[in-house]
Formats: sequence, C-alpha cells, structure tokens
Amino acid sequence: MANGGREALTPQAARSLVDSVDVFIFDCDGVIWKGDKLIEGVSEALHTLRSLGKKFVFVTNNSRKSRKQYAKKFSKLGMEINEDEIFTSSFAAAMYLKLNNFPTDKKVYVVGEEGIQEELKLVGYESIGGPEDGKKYIQLESNFFFDHDKSVGAVVVGLDQHFNYYKLQYATLCIRQNPGCLFIATNRDSTGNLTSLQEWPGAGCMVSAVSCSVEKEPVVVGKPSTFLMDFLLERFRIDVSRMCMVGDRLDTDILFGHNAGCKTLLVLSGVTTLPALLDPSNSIHPDSYANDMSHFVQLLSQ
Amino acid sequence: MLTSRVISPSFLPLSPPASTSSSSFSSLKTILSPFLAKTQLSYTRSSRMASSLTARAAAKKLENADELIDSVETFIFDCDGVIWKGDKLIEGVPETLDMLRSKGKRLVFVTNNSTKSRKQYGKKFETLGLSVNEEEIFASSFAAAAYLQSIDFPKDKKVYVIGEDGILKELELAGFQYLGGPTDGDKKIELKPGFLMEHDHNVGAVVVGFDRYFNYYKIQYGTLCIRENPGCLFIATNRDAVTHLTDAQEWAGGGSMVGAIRGSTQKEPLVVGKPSTFMMDYLSNKFGISKSQICMVGDRLDTDILFGQNGGCKTLLVLSGVTSLETLQSPDNSIQPDFYTSKIADFLSLKAATV
Repeated sequence: MANGGREALTPQAARSLVDSVDVFIFDCDGVIWKGDKLIEGVSEALHTLRSLGKKFVFVTNNSRKSRKQYAKKFSKLGMEINEDEIFTSSFAAAMYLKLNNFPTDKKVYVVGEEGIQEELKLVGYESIGGPEDGKKYIQLESNFFFDHDKSVGAVVVGLDQHFNYYKLQYATLCIRQNPGCLFIATNRDSTGNLTSLQEWPGAGCMVSAVSCSVEKEPVVVGKPSTFLMDFLLERFRIDVSRMCMVGDRLDTDILFGHNAGCKTLLVLSGVTTLPALLDPSNSIHPDSYANDMSHFVQLLSQ
Repeated sequence: MLTSRVISPSFLPLSPPASTSSSSFSSLKTILSPFLAKTQLSYTRSSRMASSLTARAAAKKLENADELIDSVETFIFDCDGVIWKGDKLIEGVPETLDMLRSKGKRLVFVTNNSTKSRKQYGKKFETLGLSVNEEEIFASSFAAAAYLQSIDFPKDKKVYVIGEDGILKELELAGFQYLGGPTDGDKKIELKPGFLMEHDHNVGAVVVGFDRYFNYYKIQYGTLCIRENPGCLFIATNRDAVTHLTDAQEWAGGGSMVGAIRGSTQKEPLVVGKPSTFMMDYLSNKFGISKSQICMVGDRLDTDILFGQNGGCKTLLVLSGVTSLETLQSPDNSIQPDFYTSKIADFLSLKAATV
C-alpha cells in the first residue's frame, strides 16, 4: 500500500487486487448509479468481474427502499440482482432489533421512509410514523398537549424527505420519556446523490436533529459501523481479507472497509473528488482509487 | 473608549460532536465595526471547553440579596423560567423588577427564543403587566441581525432564513433582504429524475433558528447556499436542545434545526445566542457597562449561567424554571453559578440580618 492510497490504481495493482479478492462489496449511490441513472460502463464492468468468477454484494446506506424494492430498481436498470445480494441500512435496522430480541409487542417510531417500515414489517415489528406523519403539524394553542405512544420501544431515524417538526418532536418524546427506548440511526451520511444532477441532504441531517434534542448519540447500523459485515461473513464464510469494499464516500464506505479489515477501493464517480481525497486534512485513505467502475475494470486488460 | 483586547468567548456546542466523519470547522475571524471594541473574535469552537481552567466553587445559596444587588449596576434576565412560564408570569416578578428599578439598576432581558422580534416581546411584557422598553429586550432574532450589522454584511446580499417571523422582522428592521422563513414550510420536494433544485447565488448568509415549519426543502436550500455560495455564513441564533413552547411540556429546540444543517454541511455555525457572549459584548458596549458590574440571572446552566461565566460577570441561578436543585448539585454537573435561589422574588424577601 505504497503512499497510503494516494496512488491511483495501476493496471498491475488492479490485476493484483482482483486476484486477491473473491467478493466485491459495492456501494450503490455514486458507484453503480446516480439517482435513477446507471453510471456509464457499470453493467459491462460487473459482467467482466462475474466472468472472472468474482462474487458480489451491494451494501447501501440508503434506507429509502427495502431490499426487495432495490432488486426492482436493479431490474429496471437491466441488471438481475437477487434481493438477498442487497444489504440496505433499512434491513440493518430491522436486523439489529431482531438480533437484540426487541419484543414484538413494542412499537417502532420511524423517522424515515417506506424502506424502513417494510423491512421492519418483514421481521414482524409494528411501526408508526413514516411518510404519513410528514403531513402532520403541531398546533400551538396554550393548552395544546402533544401526546405520544408509550409503547414505542425504539426510534429508527434514516433519510426522510418528509421530515418535519411533528416527527422530530414525536421522536424526541419517545426517546426522552419512554424508559429504555432505543435510538437507532440507519446511517449518518451528510449528503447523497439522490438524483443524478445534484447532492441532497442525507440521513445525517435527521439523525443530528434528533440527537441534538435528545442530547444522546444513536446506535448506527449502517456504514461505517461493521454491523452488516457480520452478515456478509456469515454468507460467504471466507476471510475478510478476501473481500474488497468499493465505494465513493470516505467516511462511510472506506471507513467501513478499514473498520472491518477488508481491502478498499475508492471511485471518484460519486461524492468524493480527487482534491478532497488528496487534501491534507483528509485522514481516511483507501488502498487505491479509480475514476469509476468502468475505469477499474479497463485497467485489468491494460 | 476603544480598547484592543482579544476576547475569546467560548462557544460551546450543547451536544456531542455530530459524527465520526471528518468535519471542516469554519472559524470566522470577525472585525467588528467601530462602535464595538476593536477585537478579533471567534464565535465558533468545535470542542467543549471549560470557561475557566480551574474548577469553580459550588454555588452558594443566596442569603444576602441586598449585598448582591448593591454590588452590580445591571441585571440581565433570561425570560422563560425566570420572568414567565409559557404565558403566565412567575410569582412576585413585577414587584421585584420595580424594586430593582427604584434602586437605580439597569434591567436587560436576554432570551434565546428567536420566534418573536423585540417589538413582539415588548407586547408580551405589556400584556403581562410589566413595563419593559423594547430597547431593553435582546432576543436571539435581534442578535442575528445585530451580528450581520456589526460585520457590515452587504445590503445587496441576501439572507436565507430557516426560522420564524421574529428573525424576518429583525432582518427587515436592520435593512437586510431575506428569503425563506415560514412560507418555505409549504414547499415540497419531489426527488424525480431530472429534477434540479435551484438556489439564489446572492445569498451570503444562512440564519438558522427554531423552526416549527422545518422541512427537507429548507434543509436543502440552506445546504446549497452554505456549500456553493462562496463565503456564505452559517449563523445559528441558538442551540438549545429543548424549548418551552407551551407550559405543559418540553419541545425540541432550535438546536435540532442547527444540528440538521451541521449534519448536511459538516460545518460549525457561528452562534449569536447564549452561551456565546455576542449579546453580552453587544450590550456592554451599547450601554457602556463593565462586565463586573453585571449579574446574569437565568434558569438554565448550559446557556444562561455559561453565558454569564463566559462573559465574566456574576451569575445567579433561579430554580423556577428547568433546573432543579438536584441537577445543580449532581456530580454530573460541572457548571456552578455564583449563587442560586428559588425565584427572583427572593430579592424582596431575603434581607441581611440587621445588626
């Protein structure tokens, strides 16, 4: 790892990387697609890697859709990916509750979108909140009392385009007043390429907003937390050093790779620019970097 | 009258750092306009910092009120939990304020609540039967406008407001153009293919405060301005975790809206409300009073008392608001005011024993 990742991927290094890795873990936004548009050359790149006998999974912090909905998105973009090859932060939140024996007679308040609610439902949990509460407002007459469900045992916060004060206050009351109420964040990405033309505020906003009013830090289940890595290790039963995380964001994707102990490749097709990577204030260095997936794969045959 | 000295008011974030990611901290060196002391001030700090390096002695129960009253010239009062609770005046307040005025004391009211302008607060005082001049009221909405004036924020630039009417009114009074505010609360986003959200490139500052109409549109608009307009300022009226919109319960405070924008921009804001000393510097210069002649009276340790300590004045905690004696004396609490008492009306009842 000469120069600590400040070197662009060379053809030789690319071949060496592919030889030493059996499983590629791909981030989605900024690596595979941007909004609803596939990034150029991705299909061919994945095809090449498959033909070399490589396996892959997709690990995304985007909690807006469930795994099933993501499989549909892949299909629409012309790629046949099975839903159990996809790991979303919405799935991670549901799994976290399940593995920690969250009781099914308790409810989950969701500051987030359908993806989270669907995944919770799949493991048998009842959720309230979600997009519906995006339509609710508070009335501040002098004797107005904001009530909340005392049976909420966990608040899950993720990206929420319907975020508003009502949901913020509801989540705040649950966490502050329901004894033992869990505060779970799907992820804390500051922004993301939710559409192809620009970046948008990420779950990091909603999570920070709630964290500030409850004066507590959440449990984070998405990258860079290695919670999801346990599922991947269980699935592939190979050494973590035979895996490579490919992502566009340093403080989630690459940090996830470092925390988990796998190899890391940064692509510049998403939120991170080359100047940002090379800036002296940046302390997170991938093993190497390439312009995008297509560039990475082209290097193999050079 | 101008002294050059370096003031480093400690601005303290009220919550732990937002994430493990690398944040870029914008430390703003500000040169104030001549009517304020010529100093270099930074109202932005990234980490928790004790206002003094030595631990303070435990707060003393106020016994001799006259001694305290005679030792200062000005009283700064917080409002919620000190003067009123919701829409109800706290017992004994009018008589106490009258007594202090009759002793020639200057009274000032400093509140982190940015939802109203000074004029609107003046009306609230009036409705409650208190004679308070609007010139004696300093809300964080006013502080935001005053700050922009102090740095000669250009009148041809705009301010994007994530906040309520109070901020808009104060900006208007100060002659600044603004966008946003409550009406942007009706705007919706559709994250559809090909959708591009535009923003005004002439916005030179984003002011964030308590906003019950907060939504994704505003978060994105504010984020775009801060990230893409060169030199765009990120100003927070305050960072209170909770606020008292109604008497009956606590409500998520302005700290949440500020937290959200910190989350998306990964930048720290410049805070103008308590515990930042901006308002203390402003009024000590405006009224020509020295800090040692001031006593700050408040109900909240991490805003009011810290404000007083950062500013170098005396501090009195009242237990008529959010802080209980238990919280004050808890081993987890590191903020010790000089004195504490149950309510400000104690000024009338606590007299030194006559010899």
